[in-house]
Amino acid sequence: MTIKLNDVSKSFKSQEKELEVVKDINLTVEDGEFLSLLGPSGCGKTTILRMIAGLDFPSKGDLTENGSPVTGPSPGRGFVFQQYSLFPWRNVLDNIAFGPEVRGMEARERYESARNYIEMVGLTGFEDSYPHELSGGMKQRVAIARALANDPEALLMDEPFAALDVQTRHKLQEELVRIWQEEDKTIIFVTHNVDEAVFLADRVVVLSSSPGEIIKTFKIELERLRDRTSTQFIELKKEITDLVGR
Amino acid sequence: MNKTLISLIIPVILLILWAILTTYTGIIPSYLIPSPSAVWTAFVNLLTNGSLITDTLSTLTRVILGFLIAALIAIPLGVIIGWSKLAQNLSNFIIGVLRPIPPIAWIPFAILWFGVGLGSAIFIIFLGSFFPILINTADGVRRTDKVYIESAYTMGASQLQILKKVYLPAALPNIITGLKVGIGIGLMCTVAAEMIGSDNGLGYLILTSTSMLDSASAIVGMLTIGIIGLGFEYFFRRSERKINW
Ligand SMILES: Nc1ncnc2c1ncn2[C@@H]1O[C@H](COP(=O)(O)OP(=O)(O)OP(=O)(O)O)[C@@H](O)[C@H]1O
Ligand SMILES: [Mg+2]
Repeated sequence: MTIKLNDVSKSFKSQEKELEVVKDINLTVEDGEFLSLLGPSGCGKTTILRMIAGLDFPSKGDLTENGSPVTGPSPGRGFVFQQYSLFPWRNVLDNIAFGPEVRGMEARERYESARNYIEMVGLTGFEDSYPHELSGGMKQRVAIARALANDPEALLMDEPFAALDVQTRHKLQEELVRIWQEEDKTIIFVTHNVDEAVFLADRVVVLSSSPGEIIKTFKIELERLRDRTSTQFIELKKEITDLVGR
Repeated sequence: MNKTLISLIIPVILLILWAILTTYTGIIPSYLIPSPSAVWTAFVNLLTNGSLITDTLSTLTRVILGFLIAALIAIPLGVIIGWSKLAQNLSNFIIGVLRPIPPIAWIPFAILWFGVGLGSAIFIIFLGSFFPILINTADGVRRTDKVYIESAYTMGASQLQILKKVYLPAALPNIITGLKVGIGIGLMCTVAAEMIGSDNGLGYLILTSTSMLDSASAIVGMLTIGIIGLGFEYFFRRSERKINW
């Protein structure tokens, strides 16, 4: 899926004041690309991702998917939320089967497919567990599987690993890269973590804080899985960190 | 010490005090509070002549019917009110005004609309149960975390599916609380409900024994209502605990 943002700006009205949160974003996300949106807290990353998802709408400019305007949420654009979003009243299997269920897939078929995604994210054996019985890392795996279960063309991910410890985070990053390579999806991954962006993405788009504007875009051409200890990796990280830090 | 035992301490102390104050010292004369043994005798009498069972069953029938009808109407209505801002604004005032009216005040209209007898009794209990269920359901729906709704949208759910598969389960703990409170209040309305044309029921038992100055039998009726309430409470508490998320 190709996603295009043309001069997208977004303001929120709060206490009679118009607050411009995102400003003049021009961005084309190519089909099959792994793109990362990087920026400090509050710079409007979630806002941009929500507009791409169709959960919010630009105040100015427009947004298209494969050439047609985004008018609302669609199962073709899966979303992994920043906060935990699993349905607490459904077990893992039923959480993952939710999308296919509401789209009318038969029970046998959707459970079979859900089981495949459970395997893909490494949670076999936890089909019957409820979200409150899972660790943070496991919850995010389920959230990813749940978004994937609709077989979306694009996956929009909002700091899905931010709350995890470094080991778990690294493990999930590696798994995400593997899934992306296997599944041929367009991924837009929001993060404020430079290391994460450089490890994951084909392209890192760096945003400034309030209002969020694109400062610079980095193409990362390192071979996957990336070696965090390689000189290029470390140099890239340093260059981007310097830019974000300003 | 185990919880059941602890919860029995105060009742046992009260029972002993009651016995001391009535039977053993006569500080409180029996026309004010009958002695435990008088209540026991009344209980055995009512049990052996079968009227306690009949009264309990007929009260249970009225309460459960009134409660079920209330739940059947209040839950869907509550979902709509919690879900739609318009429905909320439309109903706010009318609910606010109707809710504080004691069910007993409706008795004249109950008689006019449902005649003397079962219909009126059920209507009074319905009124008692209805608002707690309605308000708790609406509240639960209204408090549903936005992230669940947005997740459902991004996965392709329609409005109706979100209502059924997100709002309703999200509100379930609140709905159960509403049911628990609702049946409790329904039970509290039994005396009022059985004032109209009933010739059995625990409320009726209390009313008739009081008018015949048989306060021992009245206490038997009161305690039976209390124990039924405890049973309902226990049942709903268990259902609440089943929802362990
Ligand atoms: N619905 C809203 N109404 C008013 N202001 C909002 C709304 N949503 C976001 N904002 C404001 O927009 C700004 C950007 O918010 P956003 O959530 O997009 O930031 P973010 O980059 O995702 O931050 P973080 O890294 O902390 O998640 C913040 O100042 C926030 O207060
Ligand atoms: Mg955010």
